[in-house]
Amino acid sequence: MNMNDILTIVLVLIGAPILGCLASGIDRRITARLQGRVGPPILQPYYDVKKLLSKDNMIVNPSQNFYVIVYLVFIILSLLMLVFKQDFLMIIFVYTVASLALIVGGMSTGSPYARVGSSREIMAILSYEPVLILYALAIYLLTGTFKLTAVLDASSPLLIYTPLIFIAMIVVLNIKFKKSPFDYSTSHHGHQELVKGMTTEYGGPGFATIEIAHFYEYVFLTGLIFLFWASTPIIGVLIGILVYLLIIVIDNITARVYWQWMLKLSWSVLLIISIVNIAYLYYSQAKLV
Amino acid sequence: MIENTVMLLIIVPLLFSLLFVALPKSLYKILAWALFILGAALSVNLVLDGTGVVQIGEPNFAMLENVVLILEVLVILFILAVSAKYKNWPTLGLGIISAAIFAYTFSNVPKVEGASFNIDQFSQVMILIVNIIGTAIILFATGYMDQYEEHRHLNRQKTFYFTMSFFLAAMNGLVMADTLGWLFLFWELTTLCSFVLISYNMDEEGINNGFRALALNLVGGIALSIGIILLATNNVSTLSGIGTYAGTNAAALAAVALPVALLCVGGFAKSAQMPFQSWLLGAMVAPTPVSALLHSSTMVNAGVFLVVKLVPAYAGTSLGTAIAVYGSFTFVMCSALALSQRNAKRVLAYSTIANLGLIIASAGIGTPLAVAAAIMLILFHAISKALLFLCTGEIEHTIGSRDIEDMSGLIKKAPLLTTLAALGMVSMLLPPFGVLLTKWVSMEAASSNPVVIVFLILGSALTTVYYAKWLGTILSSSMDKNAVPHKKLETYFPLSLLGLAIVVTSIFVFPIYDYFVKPQVDILLKAAPAISGLAGEFTTEIGAFTYIVIFVVLALAILIYLATKNMFTPRMSSYYMCGENNLERDRLMFRNGLCSYEKSSVSNIYLQNTFGESKLTTLGYAISIILIAIALLGGIGL
Repeated sequence: MNMNDILTIVLVLIGAPILGCLASGIDRRITARLQGRVGPPILQPYYDVKKLLSKDNMIVNPSQNFYVIVYLVFIILSLLMLVFKQDFLMIIFVYTVASLALIVGGMSTGSPYARVGSSREIMAILSYEPVLILYALAIYLLTGTFKLTAVLDASSPLLIYTPLIFIAMIVVLNIKFKKSPFDYSTSHHGHQELVKGMTTEYGGPGFATIEIAHFYEYVFLTGLIFLFWASTPIIGVLIGILVYLLIIVIDNITARVYWQWMLKLSWSVLLIISIVNIAYLYYSQAKLV
Repeated sequence: MIENTVMLLIIVPLLFSLLFVALPKSLYKILAWALFILGAALSVNLVLDGTGVVQIGEPNFAMLENVVLILEVLVILFILAVSAKYKNWPTLGLGIISAAIFAYTFSNVPKVEGASFNIDQFSQVMILIVNIIGTAIILFATGYMDQYEEHRHLNRQKTFYFTMSFFLAAMNGLVMADTLGWLFLFWELTTLCSFVLISYNMDEEGINNGFRALALNLVGGIALSIGIILLATNNVSTLSGIGTYAGTNAAALAAVALPVALLCVGGFAKSAQMPFQSWLLGAMVAPTPVSALLHSSTMVNAGVFLVVKLVPAYAGTSLGTAIAVYGSFTFVMCSALALSQRNAKRVLAYSTIANLGLIIASAGIGTPLAVAAAIMLILFHAISKALLFLCTGEIEHTIGSRDIEDMSGLIKKAPLLTTLAALGMVSMLLPPFGVLLTKWVSMEAASSNPVVIVFLILGSALTTVYYAKWLGTILSSSMDKNAVPHKKLETYFPLSLLGLAIVVTSIFVFPIYDYFVKPQVDILLKAAPAISGLAGEFTTEIGAFTYIVIFVVLALAILIYLATKNMFTPRMSSYYMCGENNLERDRLMFRNGLCSYEKSSVSNIYLQNTFGESKLTTLGYAISIILIAIALLGGIGL
């Protein structure tokens, strides 16, 4: 742990939420424009968080905010592990801790809405986790190690060997951002979306923490896309941004589907194309250089 | 003195089983505490004695060999007698086959001149598991059985405690014995004990399930004994001798392939792998301590113990690959089956079978890294699963149900119990705990085999899902509060001990690896895995697991929570129920269109139509039998 590392940590801790906040603001702005509205200012997510922090800490259960803190710190940890080029398989497991903490947090409130949202989100884990680990496997097959150092040091991009996994990962991101057509875990209320699934019983500072964690998560998930072209960082960042914009567009042009539909899509199409990609890597013995 | 410790480890539980019969019920608590303390002391003593081979020579050998023979005859006579008494013809048939094989062995197979116990690091780990977790389970039973028997109007505690202690003695013998003939006796004794314990309730269901366990394990026992006879034709009569013989040349390796495959089939049956899984699922009719003992510290561990010990005879061969594919198939299949279960004990049973499948898959991969993962998983799984089973038993006594859906709101009814159960579940699927660490190691090791790794990935996702559902349910708070936990020392001491053991073993995973696992892998494969452990890090040749960071972050999360808990003054309110709350009666009630009240209830998703037992079991049987057939055919060399 030298000065540089500490500086990086501080940079990530401060920089990531700013980026995430901007991304979220841009998302709302684009969505509004696509719907023919003017939309809120870009900094609206920041104003929201600021306002939430000044609100009363309304809870239904004394321990519910504990899970939110676990969610936040493990998102930050997985982001830091990504920045420090750690073992990718391990990053996925740490990220699972965060996802589960939010789910358990939702369930811990005992509210029927939150429990419905949580059990749908559990199904989302079933849909995306295999694809994520297959992505890790692809990195191992191409570099001989699960550590991300090799991917970042390589001179050729990952994407040319893993196009099918890239497609699957776009859908995974769509699920993880909880965007339409996979936004069922955050919405149940007939038509207006006042009741937000897992987070129904969260308000004030607890909900602000969830929002901040979302900012970090945005950066983390886009970072996973960045890895596909990490050899030329600028292209990697561009691809990350493009995928993010694509997801916003998909969010606006699709309607919500049943969770069963997502599970079928994931366990048939996504898994099969990922496995085909993996099989290709096995038999071609391709290596990232 | 290692000889004395070895003998004491078998004699002390035997002695206690007699004491349980001789002394009145009022003294059982004291006896159980004494057994726990002695068991822990003896097993630690064995570790301190170090490794070594204990030879039993003349004149003791002749006497002991006769005891072994007499016991084997008694075991077979007992099986024949009970199966005839209950008119269970399949078991009787299997008993007769066993008797015929025994008679053949007795008359045709050359006698060995001496017997030996082989204490290596793996045996030490197993002894620690059996004698600390196993005796803690017996201790738990003293706080559990009275209430259990009261509900069911039974009075068979003498049989219960006798068999439980006897089980530990047999298990101790099994993991230390090196002579195959003796190992086989201990093997059959554990089968017999599990039969007695599973049919403990003496009702129709109990007896049927007991016989199923007996019959399936007899099939495994027959495979094992045929394997031993075949090995004897190659002059191999010890467990450690198999690896040595197989290592001599390629012809020897090919010669032992079939007997080794047969021994592995014996192990699969004992570990309740598909297609033998039904006996372990049936075993849950027995009292919870029995399930805990079978699932964590004894019975099923014997199977994987044998499979891992045989690693040198199949590592890197096509037999090894077949075993790896078979194990990973069981892992994914049983994880999928667990997803569809509402019964907590059934979820745990499938989870056990799945994790044992993972152990077998790791052993089958046969690289040093994978074998290290297999041994560590046996340890971590035993601790976590013992805790989970005992917690389920205690939950059942608290709320009167083992249905996961009935457990919602448990955190309010029994906070300590729920916290321990949650710790057990988290330790099964999340970092930084040991089970996940070993799963991570085995996944990294399995990356070289496409089929195995894809099975492991799918199974791992399914595992996360079925534990997450349960975890969320017990931690959810409901507004009603009616059950009161009864805090007994005998109940909560074993639970807390196991909970503590999970945390401590996970923190000290590297020293444990260094002391026990590394030398053992070195013995088995003549090569140690390239794992290095800097402070709090677990680095393999292909990855790194910085578990200490995760512990620190977890502690940080708790600190932040405690620090900010009162910073924003919390105000309690009740759920948002869409404006239709009925505050007068029950806060979970809706007013419906007819102005009457209905209670809202939410349940988890079980995907019965996709992963239900009726959908998957037949498929599982078919594929697993094909895989075993492939392993055996590969053994013959076709």
